[in-house]
Amino acid sequence: MALLEIKNVDISYGGKVTVKNCSLTLNEGEICSIVGESGSGKTTVIRAVLGLLAGGGRVTAGDILYEGRSLLSLTPREWRSLRGHDISMIFQDSGAMMNQTRKIGNSFVEYIRTHESISKKAAWAKGVHMLERMRLPDGDRIMRSYPFQLSGGMRQRVGIAMGMTYQPKLLLADEPTSALDVTTQAQIVRQMMELRDEYGTAIILVTHDLGVATYMGDKIIVMKNGMIEDQGQRDYMLRETENEYTRRLLEAVPSIGGKRYV
Amino acid sequence: MFDEKDLILEAKHVTRRFPAAGGRELTACSDVNLKFYKGKTLGLVGESGCGKSTFMRFLVWLDRPTEGEIIYHGRDITKLKGRALWEERQHIQMVFQDPSTSFNPKMRVRDIICEPLLNYRRIRLSEKDATARRLLEMVELPGDFADRFPHNMSGGQRQRVAIARALALEPEIIVMDEATSALDVSVQATIIDLITKLQREKDITIGFICHNLGLIQSFAHQVAVMYLGNIVEVMPGEDIANNSKHPYSRALLDAVFDVKMDFSKKIEPIKGEAPSPLDVPAGCPFRDRCEHCMELCRQEKPVLRELEPGHQVACHLFGKEDNA
Repeated sequence: MALLEIKNVDISYGGKVTVKNCSLTLNEGEICSIVGESGSGKTTVIRAVLGLLAGGGRVTAGDILYEGRSLLSLTPREWRSLRGHDISMIFQDSGAMMNQTRKIGNSFVEYIRTHESISKKAAWAKGVHMLERMRLPDGDRIMRSYPFQLSGGMRQRVGIAMGMTYQPKLLLADEPTSALDVTTQAQIVRQMMELRDEYGTAIILVTHDLGVATYMGDKIIVMKNGMIEDQGQRDYMLRETENEYTRRLLEAVPSIGGKRYV
Repeated sequence: MFDEKDLILEAKHVTRRFPAAGGRELTACSDVNLKFYKGKTLGLVGESGCGKSTFMRFLVWLDRPTEGEIIYHGRDITKLKGRALWEERQHIQMVFQDPSTSFNPKMRVRDIICEPLLNYRRIRLSEKDATARRLLEMVELPGDFADRFPHNMSGGQRQRVAIARALALEPEIIVMDEATSALDVSVQATIIDLITKLQREKDITIGFICHNLGLIQSFAHQVAVMYLGNIVEVMPGEDIANNSKHPYSRALLDAVFDVKMDFSKKIEPIKGEAPSPLDVPAGCPFRDRCEHCMELCRQEKPVLRELEPGHQVACHLFGKEDNA
């Protein structure tokens, strides 16, 4: 059985259909990249998986199955135990997604104690341990910092550390490296690949960076105007696909030693 | 490869220090020397906070250096004031990173792109319509866009308007601060296409700030790599892929993801992050992240040395033997 199955899903905001007939199957340990231009609906799809559609968005047709169970009929209580435990999400800027007036440790301990009944002290130690696993030196100091005191790359690692605390089977990553420098991006990409290798985490990566998408993805989905335009295994998408749009996107990526305009 | 008689702007020993908390000083640019040539593009690359924007802002008088001079047509432009400054501003214009925040949202496109021309009395009010149309067509937008507001356009269209505004005064130099990084990759390619076409037609010099090496090598004639306020390497644009020497430039290259790369290659990112510009280490600024760090690197700061014409590196690994 597939880990996640999205079946012919339509998603609407206020009665207007923005994503049409989207289907996707993801197996354990698989990485799927969703690429497309801004506004093509790629983020909407993964937000729907976590039941986090913004501004009154709703799934109006089709079904989303996680381990064979429909996610659409979950109660709020069931959602709470699933989110951050079985399915986690990393955002473009994890720091901005945290409460700015609370220290990292404070949020982290609350998060751990939502899913597990342990003492604050034990939760703190677990947080520090996770941060250090994500190669953040001096986890204790980071727990005592506010999000704005950390650099973008560090904040992103904190977000990944939180997301990986319960070794989720599915990680949803929404533009996790777009706000970072190339060198930090390479570090984060490498860490996400290691998560898959160590824990068998399946990842859905939403990005507009085709370089990262093709490096990480076993399969690639190209979205355009709310529809899946093209999809397939990476090698097929890079070499064989006859879809005009995919080819145009790939050709537009500037590459080292590639086309020169001058 | 560059003709010295085409040299139009030269930065000499430009340094900028900002006062920081606790009586300390932050050096954003340290002894930067760069040359801009007529009709050529200089790409400035580096991580965020390395001082690349700080430097480019001197050219358009958004800030002034603490020390050093910038020579443009034989005059040091950093000292200009009043009328002379106003006159000089016509010749160097800027395109910003995010086109949605660099326009007044209440102005129509016509007013946006004609404002510089009216300011310098180049056109009369009655000529506005025709001029706006001509400028829009130059950047391959329909002339009817003159009636639109910035929010009625896509990001790529807005960036074209920003380019039209910068080009309205027919400047000699344009500074572009990450002008394409807010755009989708397919739109980015068309904007670069446009920029290089206009550069050829009008012989404009471009200073382009960028952190994407793949992009910068596709259209820069000259590339300067900056790290913690220091220029560590200057080389011809076509040399980036095969002939860059500084360990930092190589590290930046290794961190680029490319659809044509070998996917089985394990990525080896450089360790750690750039230190805070408040405590730049003594000696070579890159020493703590460099795998070739030697004793000498801890003691002495390397200076830019010419390896071959147009290619300079500031690293103790290179160029030593020339002196012996």
